Amino acid sequence: MFPIVLLSVFGILLLFLGFLKSRAILLPAALLFLLVSLAVNFIDWNKTYLYFNGMLLSDNLSMVFTAIVLGSAFMVVALSGSFMEDESAQPAEYYGILLFSLVGALMMIGFENLIMLFVGVEILSVAMYVLTGSDKRNLRSNEAALKYFLMGAFTTGIMLFGMALLYGATGSFTLGGIRAYAVNPQVGLSLLFYVGLLMLLIGLLFKVSAAPFHFWTPDVYDGAPTLFTAFMSTVVKTAGFAALFRLLSISFSGVYTFWWTILAIITTLTLVAGNITAVYQNSFKRMMAYSSISHAGYLLIGLAALGQQTKQAIVFYSLAYSVATIAAFGVLLLVARQRNAETITSGGSSSESFDAFNGLARQNPLLGFAMAVSMLSLAGIPLTAGFWGKFYMFSTAVERGQIWLLVVAVLMSAVGIYYYFRVIIAMYFREGATAPIRVAPFYRYVLVVATLLTIGLGIAPGLLEGLF
Amino acid sequence: MSEFLNQFKQLTATGYLFWVLAILALLSAVWVVTARNPIHSVLALIATFFCLSGHYILLNAQFLAAVNIIVYAGAIMVLFLFTIMFLNLRREDEESKTNLTKMAAVVVGGLLMVMLITIFRAKSAQVPTFNPVSFDSRTGLVENLGSILYSDYILPFELASVLFLVAMVGAVMLGKREAGDRHF
Repeated sequence: MFPIVLLSVFGILLLFLGFLKSRAILLPAALLFLLVSLAVNFIDWNKTYLYFNGMLLSDNLSMVFTAIVLGSAFMVVALSGSFMEDESAQPAEYYGILLFSLVGALMMIGFENLIMLFVGVEILSVAMYVLTGSDKRNLRSNEAALKYFLMGAFTTGIMLFGMALLYGATGSFTLGGIRAYAVNPQVGLSLLFYVGLLMLLIGLLFKVSAAPFHFWTPDVYDGAPTLFTAFMSTVVKTAGFAALFRLLSISFSGVYTFWWTILAIITTLTLVAGNITAVYQNSFKRMMAYSSISHAGYLLIGLAALGQQTKQAIVFYSLAYSVATIAAFGVLLLVARQRNAETITSGGSSSESFDAFNGLARQNPLLGFAMAVSMLSLAGIPLTAGFWGKFYMFSTAVERGQIWLLVVAVLMSAVGIYYYFRVIIAMYFREGATAPIRVAPFYRYVLVVATLLTIGLGIAPGLLEGLF
Repeated sequence: MSEFLNQFKQLTATGYLFWVLAILALLSAVWVVTARNPIHSVLALIATFFCLSGHYILLNAQFLAAVNIIVYAGAIMVLFLFTIMFLNLRREDEESKTNLTKMAAVVVGGLLMVMLITIFRAKSAQVPTFNPVSFDSRTGLVENLGSILYSDYILPFELASVLFLVAMVGAVMLGKREAGDRHF
């Protein structure tokens, strides 16, 4: 609750800071605001409150999700120093919109009423449409923003229709009210309820880019400025899965038999589509887009096999995935900028291909190592956080006895190793003429922290267990 | 015929208003479809919306009436006008539609009419008559809506302003012309 109020105020403050002549204060201010929000998040630790007439729930789980989202946002913003060098960038607006979008993400994490969910999804989505198109002179950025906006607006319509149908069937917008209707139907569940549930699911699955609603993802992730891609693939995904988990575990756990097959099929599709297509990509950024689709698939396993361990599995997985993804995009940002400076290429796609990483580890051991660790973590190699994330996810499937889902997931993880290792091979075993890349100190800290977190959680996954 | 006239004589002021508004709404709706000039069409649509708002007031839904005018007759109409001006549809002689298109339009329109009439005939018997005991004439008033918005739904109501702020900041950011801007 406190971070939501503070972030709304801080966003407006940042917009006003944009009036100052000097841009230098914007980045520290944004980081400070995020830190303060992260700190006040824990005021209610170990207490459970319902705020504002049962609109917003604050419990340990929602606080942990909030911490992951705010932490990811902090790291992404910390990597954004390059705005200051770009004349045409408008950092005050970027940071303001980022903070506002976090308000939406937190609403999706703690919502207790479908109206809160809707407003939250909309705040987050509208902010993302704008940031996707923020590179105004890049045609691909324009195209991505337009595609994202049109498809997103359409899905919002479907989701809203679903909510209206659910209200018609249950007579309530609250999670508890819907649960009461689904658990104890007087005359059997009405058809409207099932249709509404499906439409609501479609809307949310689109936002987390699950197949077959994933077609926007590669173009949007590829076209958006890399920094905002990192934000999108971490914050939006974590918030989306927190919302899905709340909905399915609280309101719809009574009709598990109805939705789990649908969700399991979507999971399989997402895993196969994401991993197989990622193999054929030549651009690292596009590969990361497909990899983000495949990770949505792994996260969906926990929901399709909803059980006691799902909560922990989703929290751990989204943390491991966010940290590794931010590190990977951070290195990509530096490498792509260096390549752009070396050869003024048109289109800008070549600076983001796998070849751009050739020989990186020799000249820049730190960047190479950070990238290697995050790739290993995304691939799910032991001693990294990603391994334990996958382990927890797969054990939820075992708990429910969904062995075939497990088999698909393991096979697809093996496919994933192929394309993640292409980057590592390029960095360590290929020859490339690269000058050492200058890394700003703060940038270095973020990469080091992300790498340490990945390894630390990989060695001692129990660190998080006592938290919620 | 005389029966109809008798009924007509017994109408209250509300009843007269209803008929006047209904006839006006239908006439202007027909004008929307038949007008050759798209601008006239849009103006007629505004007239239709005003008539419908009049109906809302007769149904004691003042807030809905105001919102209908503000949102539809105000915002969405301006959007329509903008689109028409951008597309430059000032030509009076549009190319005539093919026979197939006309046939399809007639079939679709006819089906819709049959469906509406069927629904009306099936459901008109079931329309609940109004119960003077439980009827609350203040349900649709702004006061009640406001007190709910500012008590139960205060948080989503206030946070909706964050949504609009994001949209406005984004629109200004994307629309602002930069030095060395490329024109497509």
